[in-house]
Amino acid sequence: MKTRSATHPAGRRGGRPLPLKSKRGMASFAVLLFAMVSVMILMANFKLNYAVSATSDGYDAFSSQVVEKNGISQAVKESVLAIGETAIADSANSLQQEIQNRLSSMAFGSNVTVTVDTASPVPSVPANPFYPFGTPPASSQPAYFSASAHTRPLAGMGGLFTSLCMLGPVGDLGRLTVTFDRTNSVSPEDNRTYVVNADLFSVPLTNVDVIAYGLPITGSIPSAAPAVPAGFFGSDVSCLVATSNNPANDPTAYPDLFASSGGERLPYEYRNAVSFSWNAYEYLWSANYQDALLGAALTPPNAIYNFSTSFDPGNLQPFPGVTVSPTGGSVTVDCSAVTGTVVAIVDPNGTGSVTVTGSPASGSPFILLVRNTSGVRTPVTFTGSNSRPVIFYLENANVQFNGNPQIEGALFLDPTTVASGSVTWFGHLSFYGPASPLGTLGITVADNAAVKSALAPIAPRVLLVSTNATR
Amino acid sequence: MKPVSSRVSAAGFSIVEAIGTLVVSAFVMAALTYGMGSLFSQQARPTATYNGEVYARAPSFDDFHQAVDLHAAFSGAVDAADNIIVLGGTRSHPAFDPTGPSSALSESFADTSLAAAADTDGFKAYSSWDQKQINSSQFSSYLTANPDPADFTILTVQGLSQITSITHQRRYTAVINGQSLALYEVTHQTVDWSSGSPVLTPNVTTGSTPTYTYRFYYTAAEDVWSMPPGATHYWYRADSTWDRDQEGPARIVFADPFALAGQDSVSSLSPVSRFVYFLPQLR
Repeated sequence: MKTRSATHPAGRRGGRPLPLKSKRGMASFAVLLFAMVSVMILMANFKLNYAVSATSDGYDAFSSQVVEKNGISQAVKESVLAIGETAIADSANSLQQEIQNRLSSMAFGSNVTVTVDTASPVPSVPANPFYPFGTPPASSQPAYFSASAHTRPLAGMGGLFTSLCMLGPVGDLGRLTVTFDRTNSVSPEDNRTYVVNADLFSVPLTNVDVIAYGLPITGSIPSAAPAVPAGFFGSDVSCLVATSNNPANDPTAYPDLFASSGGERLPYEYRNAVSFSWNAYEYLWSANYQDALLGAALTPPNAIYNFSTSFDPGNLQPFPGVTVSPTGGSVTVDCSAVTGTVVAIVDPNGTGSVTVTGSPASGSPFILLVRNTSGVRTPVTFTGSNSRPVIFYLENANVQFNGNPQIEGALFLDPTTVASGSVTWFGHLSFYGPASPLGTLGITVADNAAVKSALAPIAPRVLLVSTNATR
Repeated sequence: MKPVSSRVSAAGFSIVEAIGTLVVSAFVMAALTYGMGSLFSQQARPTATYNGEVYARAPSFDDFHQAVDLHAAFSGAVDAADNIIVLGGTRSHPAFDPTGPSSALSESFADTSLAAAADTDGFKAYSSWDQKQINSSQFSSYLTANPDPADFTILTVQGLSQITSITHQRRYTAVINGQSLALYEVTHQTVDWSSGSPVLTPNVTTGSTPTYTYRFYYTAAEDVWSMPPGATHYWYRADSTWDRDQEGPARIVFADPFALAGQDSVSSLSPVSRFVYFLPQLR
């Protein structure tokens, strides 16, 4: 056998330089190595870019799912409110149907569908009863981080929620849980389960000290907040008014986020405020609620007096705290002597007048309803201070405060009521924002926790909802 | 007669040549590895040290990865917050501070509670401006002087008093090694209240606070953005009579460590950060 060196006598053994073909081999190998390393570097670079892209996509998917679940959370809240809000009309649908309706009108990303999880039944919305339709849920002043007598801690339910829920005693209606399946037909790894928790609370409208309300359906909304007299807001008074965001209507508004084209739409941050200051008042002044109060007044020990009925002193039913004049044209209500829960005075022709004398002592709360559907207002005169919590619903009244009294209670003035005189009011005041009576009424409103607690069992209530979704 | 190529291919290396080739290739490999390593570490990802902290030059994948972790945690904190306080940026109040930049909180701020807010009416906390007034005694010593427009501090709060996270962004400008640089620092400190007491969550790798950090820099010429990093406050209204300092969502732009800012001079599209939020003050 021949050795290779033997076949190449001109090799290195002889100390002579390498032949050209060997040099070529070395150079080729070096080029090959360089090419391999270059390819490796390119591949590493590619992998780096791929990793950036994949991480970026993953983060984008995460972000879009956060938006998605928050949208679904909002849909659940609106569905609950559609069924249970204190409003002029509520839906008779089930919660599942309401959610389904909203889901079907929502747009998701391509290949993504979101459905209510069939394995988890959707609960029904609990009732939110209040006087005179039922007994409201037991209520207590809530706390942020600990349970109160009748509520869970509120922290984490959102500032827009807690700002309204922390103002006084509220009832806890519990938590509803709705589960959704999020499916991506192309990327099954992006399938998710969204769980939406809806926390429902029953809040007396009288917890907010001052509301300048609007009536978007039967009236109008205040374009701007009403001017208030000096000293109107006492210490720690909470106030609520939801007005136009158009700077042309409300000089306190800024154009930063206002879209001037198309109809004005309030941002969703105002949803709870609208529940309290618009929708609740549409209901409050509707025949549905007012007739229910009159119906309750017909039942002893409550009382009702109608100025339009032919006056017959012999047929007058005596009622503690209510005195009818000899002619039947005026009624005096002595707040210290009323024993029922509702006193209703009806003046369909605008012929009567009412005088309210206060109670120097506290006592159980009651409702005084003065209802006038004629074109002539019923004079209602407050002649003394009152320490007994009373809810006054005054419709189409001409209110006069004599002697600067101090009165505890809630004063609900309908859109046509006017007021004058001066008064210090401890508790709640609400009036129609577009026709404020504050130009003629000198009033100071003071926050009073005891009055809120006393009025809570007979006050109209608003369903307040907080939803939060997890993925 | 056989072709020449046939004879060459059949020849192969001698043992000595093979060993020599291996040695040479090892040297070449080592040299290339060293060279490319140097390229990556010193050319592609150079670093700069500022205020004792190391900043990587963008684009930095390591920082991008950390940024994603930070923003996932930040999103979670935002999701669970009752209020979000944004300090710094422009238009912190439409009448009193319409242009800014307003002061952020110093990065040394590590309070876990807002003392003044515990007894506050939630209605009066509808804006970061209000929160700054309500908590002025607590914040005043931490408010930064001469803030950069990109600087901000974001506090996520539960129940008006419990701070659940503190997030800072800072932009510094400096000349380092003769280069004019824009350095960005983003930190996120999670506060864990699950035990009932506040615990500052440490970084899982370093064991120290803050929980997440990323730092990087651009050269000054590259620090050009279509939506500059920083906070912009937007307002619905400011109504002191009815306590309606109603701030809308604030636009928050975090600096992005993997955006090539200003490098494509012919492109009509300027770089945009991935980490942009439209944060409502209340949710």
